[in-house]
Parts: sequence; C-alpha cells; structure tokens
Amino acid sequence: MGTKPTFFWRFYPTSLLIVLLSLITMFWYVSRILAEQFTERAVNELVSEAHMAQELVGDRFSAQNAPEIDAILKNLGRHLSSRITVALQTGVILGDSQLDLAHMDQFFDRPEIKEAFSGKTGMATRKSLTMNATVLFVAIPVQNQGNTIGVVRAASPEISFDFFQWTRVPLFWILLFGLPALLSFYWSRKLARSLHQYQTAAEMLTHSDLEHRLNERDTAEFEALTDAMNTMSAEVHSRIAAILRQRNELEAVLSGMLESVMVVDIEERIVRLNKSAERLFRTSLDKVKGKTIQEAIRHTELHRFVEDTLACGDPLEGDIMIIGPSDVFLQARGSTLRDTRGNVLGALIVLNDVTRLKTLENIRRDFVANVSHELKTPITSIKGFLETLREGAWEDRENAERFMDIMLKHTNRLDAIIDDLLSLSRIERDAERGEVLLDVGSVRDVLELVVKEAKEKAKDKDMTVDFKAPDELVARINPSLLEQALMNLVENSIKYSDSGKTISISADRGPDEIIICVKDQGYGISQEHLSRIFERFYRVDKARDRKIGGTGLGLAIVKHIVHAHGGRIGVESSPGKGSTFSIFLPAGLGSAHQTLRK
Amino acid sequence: MRIRLQRDIDRLKKQVVSLATLVEERFRLAIRAVECRDADIARKVILGDAEIDQKEVDIEEECLKILALHQPVADHLRFIISVLKLNNDLERIGDLAVNIAQKAEVVASKLDLPIPFDYVTMSQRAGEMLEESLNSLVNLDLHLAYRVCAQDDEVDFMKSAMQLQFAEEIRKAKGEHIESLIHLFLISRHLERIADHATNIAEDVIYMITGEIHRHKGFEYDRSEE
Repeated sequence: MGTKPTFFWRFYPTSLLIVLLSLITMFWYVSRILAEQFTERAVNELVSEAHMAQELVGDRFSAQNAPEIDAILKNLGRHLSSRITVALQTGVILGDSQLDLAHMDQFFDRPEIKEAFSGKTGMATRKSLTMNATVLFVAIPVQNQGNTIGVVRAASPEISFDFFQWTRVPLFWILLFGLPALLSFYWSRKLARSLHQYQTAAEMLTHSDLEHRLNERDTAEFEALTDAMNTMSAEVHSRIAAILRQRNELEAVLSGMLESVMVVDIEERIVRLNKSAERLFRTSLDKVKGKTIQEAIRHTELHRFVEDTLACGDPLEGDIMIIGPSDVFLQARGSTLRDTRGNVLGALIVLNDVTRLKTLENIRRDFVANVSHELKTPITSIKGFLETLREGAWEDRENAERFMDIMLKHTNRLDAIIDDLLSLSRIERDAERGEVLLDVGSVRDVLELVVKEAKEKAKDKDMTVDFKAPDELVARINPSLLEQALMNLVENSIKYSDSGKTISISADRGPDEIIICVKDQGYGISQEHLSRIFERFYRVDKARDRKIGGTGLGLAIVKHIVHAHGGRIGVESSPGKGSTFSIFLPAGLGSAHQTLRK
Repeated sequence: MRIRLQRDIDRLKKQVVSLATLVEERFRLAIRAVECRDADIARKVILGDAEIDQKEVDIEEECLKILALHQPVADHLRFIISVLKLNNDLERIGDLAVNIAQKAEVVASKLDLPIPFDYVTMSQRAGEMLEESLNSLVNLDLHLAYRVCAQDDEVDFMKSAMQLQFAEEIRKAKGEHIESLIHLFLISRHLERIADHATNIAEDVIYMITGEIHRHKGFEYDRSEE
C-alpha cells in the first residue's frame, strides 16, 4: 500500500462530509421557511389589530378629538402587546397606545406611513430606537368617502425565528457531528475490515497456505465474493496437490531409473539430472544447475550429441564413449522438448551405461579367439607331423621318434586343456546347483599338503617355499578342490619366477574370513591386465606364456573353486617385484563350529 | 550492446571449455596409448589434431571480433586477454599429446621393452594438473589455480630425476633399444611441458580473476597456499 491512502481514510471522511452537508442544508432550508411563516403571521396580526383600533376610534377621527383618541388608545395599549399609533394625513398625531405624543418627530417620514397615505397597506421592518429592538411596522390608511384622511399604524417587536440559536448549545454540536462521525466510522471500518479479509485470503493463497477459508457473509455481494474466493482456493488447492503428486511420482520414477536422464535447455544449460546421471558424472544437480553442459560435464562426445539433438529436432540415437580413468560406454538417446506451439525448449538425453555389456562382449570375443588358438596350435602341429610321417618320414627312425615325442607333447597339452575345461565346467555346474560338498575341515591340513608338493616342484628351479599359518584354522571347505586351487597358484608362482626366488604361503584369520596368501618374487603383472587374468584363456604376455606352457585355465579354475566356497579372490602385483594372490574364505561357519566345541 | 557483449562472451566461454575438454581427452588417450602400447589409440590422437587446430583458430577469431566490435573494458577485457593466451596453451597441449602419441606408435611394437621410469605416476600428476587448471578455468576457482601453480615444481623434479635414470639406461642398452629409450625419454619431457602449460593456464586464470599477473613468482606460491 505504501503512500496510498487506505480504504478507510478514503471512505470515512467522504461519507462524513456528505452527511454533514446534507444535514446543514436541510436545517438552513427549514429555518428559512419557518422564519417566513412567522413574519407573515405577525403581519396579519398587526393588520387586524390596526383595523380594531380604527373601529374603536370610528367617527371621532379628527384633530379635535385627539385627547380622547389618545385615551382610548392608551386604554387599548394595556391589553395589547403591539403599539398602535393614529395620525391624520394633515400631519397631526392623534394618539399612541404607549408613548407620549411629544416624542414622535419623524413619524411622517417613515416608509410605511407614506405608503399608507397613498391608500395601500404599508409595511416595514427596522430598528426602532424607541422600542430598542427590531420592530415590524404595519400601517393601514383610514378612508372617508374614498379619500385617505389618516393612518393607523401597528408596531410590534419582530419575533424572529432564529433557528441558529440552537448552535449555541454544545449538545447540538455533539449530536450533529458526533453521531454521524461515530456511525460512519463504524461502517467504514467494518467495510475496510471485510476487504482486508479478502486481501489476507488472497495473500495466503499466494503463500500456498491453501487451507485458509473465508467466512464473510454480511451482504449478498460479500457472500457471493466469499463463495467465489473459497471455491477458487479449493480449486487451486486441488490442482497444486495434483501437480505435486505428479511431480513426486516423476521424481521417484526418474531417480529410480537405472538410465541417466539429463535435460538441457536451448542454450545447452543443464535443467535437471537424475540420480543416476549425478553418479555417472560424479557431480550433483545443485552444483551444475544453470551451467552450460560444456562447463559442467567435460566430455566432447556428449557435447556433440547434445548439439546434434538440439540441431536436428528428431529423436537421435548414438554411442558415446567417455574417456576417463576408466572408460565408460554409453548408449545415448536424445529427443527435443517442445512447448505447445512446437518451439524447441531444450533436449532430453537418456544415457544407458553399457560398459558392462561391452566388457562382457570383449571377454566373449577374446575367449572365442583364444580358445580356437589354444586348440588349433597343437592340432596343427600334430597334423603337420602326422602328414610328414605318413609321407615317409616314419622310415627315418631317429626323426620319427622325435616327431612322435613332439606329437605326444602336444597331445598331452590338448589333454590337459580338455581336462581343465571339464573340471572347470564341472565345478561351475556343481556350484550352480549347490552340489559342491563343503565340510568343516582344517585348512592347515590342506595347506601342509600343498606346501609339501610345492617344495617338491620348486626343487627343479632351486626355489624355496616359506610357510606360515596358525595351528587351528577351520572353515567349510572341499579339501580336494581347495588343494587344486592352491596348487594352481603355486605352480603359476613357480612358472613365472626366476630360479632361486622364494615363494611364501601364509594363512591368517581375519575378523570374519580366513585369508590365504601365495606370494612370489616373480615377473609380476602390469596394472591393465589385473582385472582380466581370471578370464579363461586370458594371456598377459602371449609369446612368453605359451613357451612356459599351461592351459590358460588355471586361474579361471581357482576363481571358480573359490566362488564355490563362497569366498573371493584378490591379486596385487607390480611388474618386476612379484605378485600376491589372496584367497578369502568365509569363516562364519568355522567360528560357529569353534563356539560349539567350547 | 551490453547484452550482446555478454552473449558473445558466453559463447566464447563455451567454445573455450569445449576446446579444453577436447584437449584433455586427447591427452588422456595419448597417455593410454603409451601405457597399453596401443598403436590404434595413438593414431586416433594424431588424426584428431586438425580439429583442435581449427577450434583454436575459431576462438582466436571470436576474441578479435569481440575486441573490435565491443571494445570491452575491465573484467570483460581481462577475460578476452586471458582466453587469447590460454587458447595458445591449450593448442600446445594438444600438439604435445600428438607428439606423445607419435612416440607411442613407435614404442607400441617393442613389447618386451619395459618403460624404465615411473611413467604412470608422472602422467597421472600431469593429468591431474591439467584437469585442475581446467577446473579452475571453468569454475573461476582462484584457490585451485594457485594450487596448480604450486604443483609445477613437483613434475619438474620428477623429470630431472628421470633424466639421470635414462642416461644410465641408455648407457646399458643394446643397439636396438636405444631409439625406443630416446622416444620414451622424450615422452617424459612432453609430460613435463604439458604440466608447464597447465601452470600457464592456471596463471591466466589468476589474471582473469584478480587482474594480477602472476608469472615468475614461484617463491610466493607457498605463501599463497597458507
């Protein structure tokens, strides 16, 4: 509202002014009419009194009878309030009802007298010195045979109707001003208050306090307005509730989505990201909202995709590769957002993380390539030697024996690969069906067996085997499988180490798992291979690995055996320094067993 | 007029950030090409250089256009000047990434030659510096820019240490390996140069924000960190 006058101050003085003006006008008019009527009555009275005096004087109307006339008039004067004077036209005053004749000098100059001499009834009002008041004079002519011979004048103090004498009474003012002031104050305030209620209601509505209802039903108009306002507020309430509900649903859907959803406006500023997108880009909506996508998310291919989506207008699909510490492959779908008139408002980008799929696809592709290679190499070799023998080389005994030795070696290799594949698939199948037999048994016993065997094998390369484990180490295990897994690790360690190095096998009890470590001082594995060495037929160094031998399935078997035990496997390695393979077996049941024994 | 200037500057900023993103990605790819001995990635980086060059030219033209049309003053002027300078640095980093990729292409075939220096750590440090300097540019983060400046010495030191190591390796090396070793040594030099350019970018950001020219004040970095 500020400097504007309030409704009350506009309405109250105006209404008060109107009331006062009309009251004063009315009083003025009434007093005027009353005053006129009073004068008229006074004149009539004087005229009739003058006629009465004329009748009393009668025929004695002459200068000689002056004392008599004066006596009659004086007599009359005792009963009348008005003063009667009788005079001849010749200038002789015959008598007066109140005063001595001697005191009346200017009598014949008076206007009413002059008028009466000319034959009409004369009338005048003036301040009379003799009566010391405003006096009303009426003079009538006295006629004898058509000639005016004298005059009778009646005078009485004017009874003025002075209405404004009331104004001298304080009560008058109090009633005149006070009452209208009070009443119009009351009504103005009531009206202003009603209006104020509507204002409050409207404000409540804008401040989204939607429960507020008006209750102002003074007049039909107010009632209608109140009903309209209440309906409006209820309507707004229900609509906002609907919008809120929809928004929450949308929010829940968006944040529950596995796909990343991103909305940008026409200027490529980010409008919203869902939870998944925040995770993907390692940011939060609060941080990037309103920033351009170039500033917020620094991935060229994504920028290009957003640009293309905005430019092309049709739904767009594409693959995006995000280069970072670890690559992320995304399948992107983009479509433009339009308003009701079809103008482009922005773009909606849905990103699907297909990194896992891509990785699996790579693994599968590599697997197929590797398995063919692993099987094909010995077969080609065997085939080649067989053909050579068949073409006559069998006759050369010395070479034939050498060829057959090589063929035997390759056949053994094939046999080993197929054995490994069979045992891998058996373990896999058993683990899937839960048919791997797990019994509570001593891990230490298994480890001792492995160590004994390892020492035997390490002799060839002049390597030493350290062993360290607590005496009592119990878990739910399948001893023969666990032994196989550990032997695979130990064989790897021997294979990929130079002569004279040490292999240490250790076991320890963690808070809820048993940790078995096989540590060597071998060649080590570089970082980029670590995540893939447990894949079937995966080769870190293709040339060297085949020379050394092995089926390429050893670590895959270890992984599956450990998984069948409900454990997990980890590896740490640095090139040139050696590798550590750790097997973590759950000890939950082992400890349960121990508590049972207590 | 004022609004149009702001709009042009917004667009310029978008272009710069987009170039920065591209350069950062190329750098990462080049590093990976060395790490994985992958000639395909290396070729991708080498072929992509034309795009970076084009963007650099576009940005410079945009800067000149704004200067000529709007005659900007105060912070707008500082922004344009800084962009002109760091535009150069970004392009140089792009070139260095290409250089690294070229070396990677050569080294890719020599699988049995181990990289004789702590390549991963050094490339990570350089990568972090580049990323942080670009972050400070995007978010106009003064604190981050100072931090980048303070890190430069670390990478310089790493390079010096490697120089000795390389000298020894080359002395030991057999004929065929010497060439590869020289290539690898050059990669370490490129990484060091990239770190320098990242520092330059951070200094330009400092100028953009404060109006203070921060070059050649190495001894003050530590104090500003406190």
